[in-house]
Amino acid sequence: MALLGGRMFLSLGRSNISNLGLKQTTNRVTYATALSVNSSAGNKERGGRGSVGRRPRRDPGEPRTGKMPVDQDWASVYPSATPFRSNAVPLPVRMGYPVKGGVSPEKKGNLELVKIPNFLHLTPAAIKKHCEALKPFCTEWPSALDTDAKCDEHFPIKIQSSDYVSAGPSVRNPSARIVHLKVKLSSLNLDEHARKKMLKLVGERYCKDSDILSIKTDCCPLRQQNYEYAMYLLTVLYHESWKIEAWEAEKTAADMEEYSWEDSPSQKNILDTLLRMKVAGEGEEAEVREQLLARGEVQEYKDSVVRLKNEGANENSMLQYKEAVKKVLNV
Amino acid sequence: MAAPLVFRRDLLSFARILGGISQLGPRGLNSCSRHRKCGQTRPPSQLLYASLSRFQLLQSSSTFFHTATHLSSTPFTITATDEPDTLFQKVVVLVKGHDRAVLDSYEFFATMAAKELGITMAKVFEPPKDIERLTLLKSVHIYKKHRVQYEMRTHYRCIELHHITGCTAQVYLEYIQRNLPEGVAMEVTKTAMEKIPDHILEPMWKDHPIDDKPSK
Repeated sequence: MALLGGRMFLSLGRSNISNLGLKQTTNRVTYATALSVNSSAGNKERGGRGSVGRRPRRDPGEPRTGKMPVDQDWASVYPSATPFRSNAVPLPVRMGYPVKGGVSPEKKGNLELVKIPNFLHLTPAAIKKHCEALKPFCTEWPSALDTDAKCDEHFPIKIQSSDYVSAGPSVRNPSARIVHLKVKLSSLNLDEHARKKMLKLVGERYCKDSDILSIKTDCCPLRQQNYEYAMYLLTVLYHESWKIEAWEAEKTAADMEEYSWEDSPSQKNILDTLLRMKVAGEGEEAEVREQLLARGEVQEYKDSVVRLKNEGANENSMLQYKEAVKKVLNV
Repeated sequence: MAAPLVFRRDLLSFARILGGISQLGPRGLNSCSRHRKCGQTRPPSQLLYASLSRFQLLQSSSTFFHTATHLSSTPFTITATDEPDTLFQKVVVLVKGHDRAVLDSYEFFATMAAKELGITMAKVFEPPKDIERLTLLKSVHIYKKHRVQYEMRTHYRCIELHHITGCTAQVYLEYIQRNLPEGVAMEVTKTAMEKIPDHILEPMWKDHPIDDKPSK
């Protein structure tokens, strides 16, 4: 007896040390198992003595479906998600592969009906009841923000994140930490230089057609951290793009985002050609060049060249260039 | 002879366990109050009483359940805070499952719940299903020409909600997720709208000279 007690104390001590934070249920369990073994041993002795003295088997009686009134409260029969009980559902449901020359098996003792998830606890009446109870916790959408345009005007920054719910060994999903930040550059306070610098800093994250800068952050383990990092990135980009560094003065024509015709080889070439053709009158070089520039054909030529360089060579731009050249050279 | 021995064994271990409980009491309570947010911590006297009743196997159920019902009768009060509510421009709920009928029923439930709560649904549609097929050897050893093929079908349903506030979204999503049936997974993509934060409205270089090197 002392030995058994000693062994039990050991197990108790072990559970105390390992599970410091747990409640006394573990202690109760270690004790209760010992107790249950003793009691079950006692029961077996009692049962083994006489199979004659068993309790008589009772009849199951009428199933509950027979006693259900038509206007009962179904939400009290199935208040929450429970497996299908054939004696509690008053519907003549049949499920399963039909017997040869017959119909599907009936609902009594049908495992197929038990296996499939049922929505008996979510009848329209039950849903209405639940929503009535949930209504006080909901808030109204502000009526002033009807259209997407108004939303974009007042709230330009969009934060996108995902949540995942699934059954598995863990509740967590590592993809839930990813945060996408989308903002239209037109809604930020940027001047020309700042905008160009921002586009250079950001690179591929900017979409020209929709004017949306999208930043995706997934380097931190938590969504809150990723969101804060995205906002920090946006702040830094904004302030850095307004800064004018000393070395930015060394920007060459090759670094420019768009083609500009002023002081370009194309301008020099067309003016030299026109001078050699002696179209304009005699005079000082600089004045003659200015006069030539002011002419309509030269302006058209400039537009066509700019369009070609920026948009690329497609049908319309090539046609426009052809027309402009014909006009300038009087061909 | 068996009965008195059993009784004495019980007494000894019972005494030791009581000693164990008194050691464990305060620490156990502190940790469990941290884990559980609602006020369901029990004083040591109640715990001892609960364990006593269990061991003696006399009137165990009545005392244990009596404490439980007493704790759950606190009324709920809805408080409103000054914190501004998040605004979601779009909430996309995508449910995936192996059974199309289950997803049909779930869609009916989700759409009805959204209508009852007054949430505007933009689109409810069914993306095409994915079938993943694999071909495996039928036998454990050799018989390469005899194979067996399995396929896993994943059906989808997509519900898009527009212009929903943070509180309403939380309520609706929690309701939907608690009633998600077995074998169905859900993915929720939320697009929240925000104003431009104050520190991005004006560049800081206008007020401070460029030589300054601020932290941000």
